[in-house]
Amino acid sequence: VNVTFEQQVDDVLVEEEQSTSVSLPSLMTPPSAAGMSLSVELTRKRKGSVDNQDSKCVSVPDVDMEDDQNRYKDQHVKVKCFREPHSQIEKRRRDKMNNLIDKLSAMIPTCNPMSRKLDKLTVLRMAVQHLKSLKGSASSFSEANYKPSFLPDEELKHLVLKAADGFLFVVGCDRGKIVFVSESVTKILNYSRAELIGQSLFDYIHPKDMGKVKEQLSASELYPRERLIDAKTGLQVQADLPIGAARLCSGARRSFFCRMKYNKISIKVEEKESQGNVLLESQKYCTVHCTGYMRSWPTSQLGAEGEGEVDKQESSHFSCLVAVGRVHNHSSPQVNGEVRVKPTEFITRYAMDGKFTFVDQRATTILGYLPQELLGTSCYEYFHQDDLPHLADRHRKVLRSKEKIETNCYKFKTKYGSFVTLQSQWFSFVNPWTKELEYIVSTNTVISYDPSRAGRSGNKSEQSSNPKASEDCKKSPPIIPGISSTPGTMIYAGSIGTQIANELLDFNRTNSSPSSGNVSPFSLPQDKSPQIHNQISNSVPNGETSDMEIPGKSSSESEPQGAAFSGGETLMENSQLDLESVVGPGLNSLSSDEAAMAVIWSLLETDTNLGEAVDFEEMHWSL
Amino acid sequence: MTADKEKRRAISREAARRRRRVESDVFGDLSRLLPLQPSVRAHLDKPSVIRLTLSYIRMHTVLKENDGINAGSRHMITYQQAVEGGDEQSGCDGAQDEEEKDTEEFEASQETNMYLGILEGFVMVLSTEGDMIFLSDNVSKYMGLTQTELMGHNIFEYTHPCDHEEIRSNLRLTAEEVWYGEKRDFVMRIKSALTHRGRTANLKSATWKVLHCQGRAKVCVDPSAVSCLLLTCRPLPLSHTLLSRYTFTSQHSMDMRFTYCDQRVTSLLGYRPEELLGRSIYDLCHALDTSCLNKNHLNLCLKNQSVSGQYRMLVKGGGYVWVESHSAVIPSVRPSRSRPGIPQPLCILSVTYVLSGVEQPSLQLSLDQTIHRYLN
Repeated sequence: VNVTFEQQVDDVLVEEEQSTSVSLPSLMTPPSAAGMSLSVELTRKRKGSVDNQDSKCVSVPDVDMEDDQNRYKDQHVKVKCFREPHSQIEKRRRDKMNNLIDKLSAMIPTCNPMSRKLDKLTVLRMAVQHLKSLKGSASSFSEANYKPSFLPDEELKHLVLKAADGFLFVVGCDRGKIVFVSESVTKILNYSRAELIGQSLFDYIHPKDMGKVKEQLSASELYPRERLIDAKTGLQVQADLPIGAARLCSGARRSFFCRMKYNKISIKVEEKESQGNVLLESQKYCTVHCTGYMRSWPTSQLGAEGEGEVDKQESSHFSCLVAVGRVHNHSSPQVNGEVRVKPTEFITRYAMDGKFTFVDQRATTILGYLPQELLGTSCYEYFHQDDLPHLADRHRKVLRSKEKIETNCYKFKTKYGSFVTLQSQWFSFVNPWTKELEYIVSTNTVISYDPSRAGRSGNKSEQSSNPKASEDCKKSPPIIPGISSTPGTMIYAGSIGTQIANELLDFNRTNSSPSSGNVSPFSLPQDKSPQIHNQISNSVPNGETSDMEIPGKSSSESEPQGAAFSGGETLMENSQLDLESVVGPGLNSLSSDEAAMAVIWSLLETDTNLGEAVDFEEMHWSL
Repeated sequence: MTADKEKRRAISREAARRRRRVESDVFGDLSRLLPLQPSVRAHLDKPSVIRLTLSYIRMHTVLKENDGINAGSRHMITYQQAVEGGDEQSGCDGAQDEEEKDTEEFEASQETNMYLGILEGFVMVLSTEGDMIFLSDNVSKYMGLTQTELMGHNIFEYTHPCDHEEIRSNLRLTAEEVWYGEKRDFVMRIKSALTHRGRTANLKSATWKVLHCQGRAKVCVDPSAVSCLLLTCRPLPLSHTLLSRYTFTSQHSMDMRFTYCDQRVTSLLGYRPEELLGRSIYDLCHALDTSCLNKNHLNLCLKNQSVSGQYRMLVKGGGYVWVESHSAVIPSVRPSRSRPGIPQPLCILSVTYVLSGVEQPSLQLSLDQTIHRYLN
C-alpha cells in the first residue's frame, strides 16, 4: 500500500524476495564510506572494567575521532590501538571518569558554588541527594506493572510535539469530525482546543484542498486505486490487494499536505484610516504536513455510537485518521547560503549569454516591463552605454568564478525610457553533479529611482576609449554598413553577451595553447587566455583588409579599465560603437541568426545606402 | 625496614579497597534512583551510571518550563475517551482516583507510542556540544542500539565524518536564536547496527542510515545547563502513500534532468511527461528556490536521500505551484544477480507532493513559459 524506496519487512512488498533490492545502505558504502572503514567493537558481555576488552587495531582516519579521545565512549564502542600499553588505557579511563565527574558537578546546583574542585565521592554523594530531590517533585518512577520509561510519558509526549512543532489530531472519516486535538494546536493554529473539538475538519481546510483531504479520509472503494511503485525500477505496478481492505485496515498510513486555517487576531481599524473601506480579513492559511495512520474501532466497543446519527447497520466500524500535523514554512530553512531578498530587490536569471530566462514579478514595479517583455532579450539592451564595459567585464568574471560577483551601480533602462540605478550580485549557478553552468542568478537591488537622466540611444559616447577614433567611421557601423545606428545598437548590444558566452565555450573546448602567444584582451591576469583566435580570423566585414592585430599586442594601449577593452586597432577606430571596444575584434562572431537578421535589416532599411561601398563578398560571417 | 613498608602497603591496599567499596555503594545508590528497568540497571558500568545521571538531570532542566502545562495535562482525556464522548466533553479536570490515574498513565504511554509511531522516528535532545542528552526509547528500532546505551554520548561518535561540519553548523546557536526557538532542518548519516531484516548486529558491521532531523532550539532555564536542540529524527527514505491526484513520481539522471515522469504531472503542472524529458529541474523552479534545490541535490549526491522542503515549480504557460519532493538515489537498472560486483548506474527517484493550487496563473516568469521561443 505504500511506496517504499527501501524494503521493510513489515510492509506489503511488490517483490516477493527478501533481496537487498534497492539496498541503499550498500549503495552508500562505496562512495561515502571511502576510507571510513571504522571498525568498532560492541560487546554485550559484562559491562565491567576496561580490562576485559579485547584490543583491536583500527584505523582512525578522521581528525574528529582523534580529537574526541577524551570523549571516550564506554566499552560499548571503543576505538583502541593494538599496541597500546596498559597504562595508557588506564589513563584514558581515568580521564574519562574525571571528565564525567566534572560534568556532573557542573550540573548539580549544590556543587556549583564551591570554588574548589570537589572530590569524586563527594560529587557522587551530592548527585544522589540531588536526584532524590528531583524525584520528589516528579511523577513516580515506581517499579509498577508497566515498563518505566526514562521520561514520564506526559513529558515525552510534550517533547515530541514540541520537537515536531506539531499537534495530534483525530478525525472521523465519515464526516471529518474532529474528535481529538492536542493542546499544542493552540500554538500552531491559534485556535483553542475547545473551538476545534467537535467541529468538522473541513471547516478549517483551504477550499481547494478539500478534495485532497476527502481523498485521504476516504474508505470508499469509489476512489482510484492506489498505486505502488516498484522500488527497483521506479515504475508503477498494479496492486494485488483489494483496495477496500487495504484502506480500512488499521495501520494504513497517510501522508499529505494541506492548507489549514490559521486564526488571526483581527485588529480593529479606525474608520478614518480605512477610509470607509471594509477591513479585509484575508484568511490566512499555513501549510501543514499531516502524517499518520488509519484506526478503526468496531462500534460495539464504544460506549456510544461513534458518530451519532449513523445507522448502526451501515457502519460497523468507526474509522478515523490519527495524525500529527506539522507546520511547514515556505522558506526552506537553510543555515547558509540563502538568497536574502528585500523589498526593493528582484531576482533574474540569465542564460550564459546574458539573455533573460527568468524574471521575478517584482521587477515590473521597478522596471515597468512585464516579465514576458524581458524574457529572451539580452540584458545588454537595457544597460546604459556607459556601464557596458564594466558589466561586460563582470559578466566574463562571473562565468569563470565560483564566487558571487558584485557589480557597481549601473543604469538600467525602464520601459518608459528613463533609467533606474541598480546594483547587482551575480553568481554562476552550476549543477552540483555535472559542474556545468545552469544559469547566472542575479540579485538586483534598486539604488535609486531617479529618472532624471534621459535615455540615450547611445551613439555619441564621449568615451575616450579609443584614441584612434576616425571621423569617418562615426557615422556608419563598420559591421553592417548602412544600418542606422539605433537598430544596429540593439543588435550589437545583444551580441555582447553572445560573444562573451562564446568565449567561454571556446575556451572550454580548446584549452589555451601556449604556442599561440596570444594574450586575450579579455583575459584577467589569473585566467588562461581564451582562444578567440579563430574568431578573429573570420575577419571583419568592414571592407578593410584584415590588418587584424592580435588583440594581445594592443594591450599596451588598453584602457585603465583593463585589458578587456583593447581590441583590434582597426575596430578601435570606430569610436561610435564603443560596444566594439568592449567586444573587441571578435564582434563579427554574431550568431547565425543575428547575422542573418543584420543582413535583412540592411537590405530593408537602407536602400539608399546600397550604392555605397558595401561589399557583401567581403563579409565573412561565421555561419 | 621492609616489614614496615609491607605493613604500610597492606594498610594502603585495605584503605583502597574500602574506598572502592564505598564508591561502588554510592554508584549503586545513584543507579537505583534512575528510572531504569532492573535488568538494565544490573549491567551498567560506572561511566554509564554517570552518563545517565547527567541525562536525567539535564532533561529535568529542559522540561522545567513545561511544568505549568504538565499540571493541566495530567488530566488530559485520552483519545479513546474523546472518541466515545464525541460532543460532550467530560470534565477534564475532575478529580480522579488512583486507579483511574494509573490507567490514564498507562494509556498515556500508549499515546506516546502512538505519537512516535506516527512520526516514524525518534526524539533526540542534543546539547550544543553534541551530547545526546536524551533519546526516546524507540531509537533502538532505528539504530539498533538502546536508549541507555546511547544517551549521554556524543553525536559525533555516531555520525558520518563528512556530515560533522554540517552538524556543527546546525548546533551553533546565538542566544537570540535559542530564545525564539530557531528551527533546524537537516539530513545526516548515522550508524545503524540493524540488518536488513531488522535484527541487531554488531556495531562492527554498522551501516549508515540517513536521518532527516527537524526541530528547534530550546531555552534551558537553569543557567548551569547548556541550551539544546529538540529534534525528531526520521530515517529516510520515508514511505509514501500514493493517492492519485496530488502527487506524481519522476525519475532523473544524477544531474536532475528528467528521464521519466508519470502522467499525473499533466493535471498538476500542465506539462506532458514527454515535454519534461531531458529538462533540468533547475529550469523549472522559481529563481528564489535555486538554493533549496541545490541543497537537495547535494544531499542526494552525498547522502543518497533527501527531502527538499517547499519550493515552487513553474507551471506550463504561467504561474507556479508549491511542491515538496522526497527523493532517493536508486540503481537505474534492475540489479542483476548474475553480476554482483558491477557498479550500477544510478538515478534519482522522486515523489513530489503538490501543496498548493496554481498561483498567479497569468504570470509568466520564465522564458520557457512565454510563447515566443528564442533561438539559441
